[in-house]
Amino acid sequence: MKRALSLLTVLLLTALFLPPSVPALAAGKVIIYNWSEYIPDDVLEAFTKETGIEVVYTTYESNESMHDKLLIQKGRGYDLVCPSTYFIPQMIKEGLALKIDKKRIPNLKNVDPKLLNQEFDPDNRYSIPYMWGNYGLIFNSALVKNAVTSWNDLLRPEFKGKIMLYDDPRMTMGIALLATGASLNSTKESEIRAAYEFLLKLRDPKNVFDVTAAKNVMVNNHSVIGGIWNGDAQVAMDENSDLVYIYPKEGVPLWMDSFVIPSGADNVDNAYAFINFMLRPEMALRSVEEYRYSSPNLGTLELMDKKMRESRLLNPTADDLRNAVMLNGVGEAKALYDLYWEKFITDAK
Amino acid sequence: MKKTPYVYLWLIYAFLYAPIVVVIVYSFNKARLSKDWRGFTWQWYESLFSNQPLIDSALNSLFLALCVACLATFLGTLAALCIHRYHFTGKRALQGSIYLLTISPDIVMGISLLILFVSVNIPLGFVSLLLGHVTMAMPFVTVTVLARLDSFDENLIEAARDLGASEAKSFLHVLLPLTMPGIAAGWLLSFTLSMDDVILSVFLCGPGFEVLPLEMYSLVLRSQPSINALSTIMFLMTLLLILLAQFLAHPRKKAKKP
Amino acid sequence: MLQNKGFRFFSITTVCIWLGVFALLPNMALFLVSFLDRTDTSFFIPVLTLDNYLRLFAPAFIRILLKSLALACVSTLTCLILGYPFAYLLARSNRRVRPWLFLLVIIPFWTNSLVRTYAIFTILQNNGVLNTLFNRLGLVEGNFSLMYTNFSVFMGLTYTLLPFMILPLYASIEKLNLRLLEAAKDLGAGPVRSFLHVTLPLTLPGIAAGSILVFLPSLSLFYVPEILGGINYRLLGSFIQYNFSKGANWPVGAAASTVLTLLLLLMAVFYRLAGRNEREGGAAALSAPGGQTAPARVERG
Repeated sequence: MKRALSLLTVLLLTALFLPPSVPALAAGKVIIYNWSEYIPDDVLEAFTKETGIEVVYTTYESNESMHDKLLIQKGRGYDLVCPSTYFIPQMIKEGLALKIDKKRIPNLKNVDPKLLNQEFDPDNRYSIPYMWGNYGLIFNSALVKNAVTSWNDLLRPEFKGKIMLYDDPRMTMGIALLATGASLNSTKESEIRAAYEFLLKLRDPKNVFDVTAAKNVMVNNHSVIGGIWNGDAQVAMDENSDLVYIYPKEGVPLWMDSFVIPSGADNVDNAYAFINFMLRPEMALRSVEEYRYSSPNLGTLELMDKKMRESRLLNPTADDLRNAVMLNGVGEAKALYDLYWEKFITDAK
Repeated sequence: MKKTPYVYLWLIYAFLYAPIVVVIVYSFNKARLSKDWRGFTWQWYESLFSNQPLIDSALNSLFLALCVACLATFLGTLAALCIHRYHFTGKRALQGSIYLLTISPDIVMGISLLILFVSVNIPLGFVSLLLGHVTMAMPFVTVTVLARLDSFDENLIEAARDLGASEAKSFLHVLLPLTMPGIAAGWLLSFTLSMDDVILSVFLCGPGFEVLPLEMYSLVLRSQPSINALSTIMFLMTLLLILLAQFLAHPRKKAKKP
Repeated sequence: MLQNKGFRFFSITTVCIWLGVFALLPNMALFLVSFLDRTDTSFFIPVLTLDNYLRLFAPAFIRILLKSLALACVSTLTCLILGYPFAYLLARSNRRVRPWLFLLVIIPFWTNSLVRTYAIFTILQNNGVLNTLFNRLGLVEGNFSLMYTNFSVFMGLTYTLLPFMILPLYASIEKLNLRLLEAAKDLGAGPVRSFLHVTLPLTLPGIAAGSILVFLPSLSLFYVPEILGGINYRLLGSFIQYNFSKGANWPVGAAASTVLTLLLLLMAVFYRLAGRNEREGGAAALSAPGGQTAPARVERG
């Protein structure tokens, strides 16, 4: 009995003295809320080593859940988030984003001017690009006999129950819009409904709609065809050499995730320091090597090895992207997307 | 006992353990996503230990679980003593709500606390998680301690008093030691509940305080290979904890036979 | 003993205030929110409406609810059918090995449920262990996948929750007075009759406790269907989580959680009817089985 008592006391004392986390360093900290698998550990370490700023890193799996946490906190608590293009206008409107002082990010000069000043945030007043890429078709050449060239090929009977798509409303509705001949950023209800009807034809209990499981499902031949981010595609292709990635002819959605400083951030200076650090070509390259998405950082091109530079996934040719469109905010029509997406999810048999 | 029924026992054991064994084996597999065996490696364990955010979240969880365990044990034991010792109006309601809380789904507790915290502007983070986890774990401590209190002889306390022990003394020297296995069990239970909780944490976590179960959740969703290694470590720690609990319950070899 | 007025006052108030503030109040708030409206920027606004409940009558939600209930019932029944003979054999096993056998049930019971859900994933996956095994045995040719099906979700729930059925069953079977069974035998009852008329009624509290501990989490453990089923298998818990953490609709989620709370109350009544003489709840039944103070753990959704 004594033993139990003393053990309990010891545990109690440990609880009192165990620090909740690594003790804060003199330079303070920066609280980052980012997609999971998006910044390599060694980059975070290098940042802390160089600046003395401790990185507190938390992750999310969807724009929606990040946005919800931020809204609950009224923009406070986090120092840096990384939303996708189409979430940025909404966050600006809700007053969740801080206006960025570009003078404090000298490394912005490394960013491809073609990717700056986009429709979702003209003149980049609130956001600084971190990663971008495209969303194309992946298929298993060993299990698919006839050539695949378009999003409409998903409708082929041979793929029934063998399709993988993301459970991301804009991305998946987006390819349905492209497949039905509409614009990727359509705001017309008739077109959005047509896209929903296209997706309903793909509704099969064996089809997978899961962004997080995508790579796994393709590598292990659960699905033979699907829509996928170029980075995920590359990681999957490294594991399974039968996989092929193509740019469908109806069009290719482009995505981009940008750093945004929430309006209530406590450590704004450190957030700037971190953004600037990440815009160094070497650091941007580390992220590319690890996660295989494209970097908006022009400096990375020179540092890449030949194989990466010539990868059409990582650096698509102008011809590959001739039909490519950036995903943008859709304003009021977002409600329509949400409505039809929820209908799509819940209308399962 | 005849042999045949044992076969059934072992079949169920196989069902319970085979998946865990598979995970342990795969934690040494070189392949990243594929389930083919591509050679032995320690790399997933190495990648765990070089993952600073993961280590931070593990430390956070450990700290949280220790705080939760202590607070929940204190409150839960208090509640058990109330129910066991006193008669007061509302006692039945209290008892009923504690039993109800033990089976109440976490998701309801999570969203209801989220609404409360949002309404009164309590920022999400350590405090919200602590309050949530304590509320979740406390009823289990009460139930465990009550079971212990109900199982021993009331006369012992009477005897202590007859022998002249003061109230405080009989509490410290008789009641508390007798209840201690129950309290220790409740403590361990709260600790694990907090360490394992995904559901409350999803809703109540906040900036700057990531917890291990959520990191694990994300690893599982993405079927990251290091999850096998992390699962193996968690499993071994559980094993250790159980052996510890057994050791606490039966300090000496000749523990009372069932 | 402990008649100290100060301590009495302190303990009763502390406990009541804690439960009042962190259990009763939030649940009332949740119930209130289920009657409120929302806007795009506020999770709820103080405008009363019944719309949230009306939305629960939409065929989409009814389908989710029925599917969840069906899966929960099947999982509970399977756990009961698998668990009862197991618990019986365990409780009647040799006294020397029993603590060790019991320990073997406790271990998975305490193991993190995410870990165990993931373990099932590894087994069922395409090219997974089962796939390879079946190929080797020549039972099936080529790849097949059990993932993302009703079966995978069912397997996940049964596997994660089976120990929660076994332990309360074990506790109540162990307590069973053998002399009653002998008496039944002496009075001429066959094994079937004595099981139906003696064993079964006496272990009813265990059956009830185990069923509750499996049924309710089956409805609300949202990560099991998420990991093993994908969006095709969104259940009640997933629906609530989606509405609360993916920018959807808090009031609708709150209304859906009222359904869950009603089910909980129903189960509580059922439990009271099943085990009137059983003072301790399901968890307590687990906490000291066979005189061991192996701490209980309860999985909840």
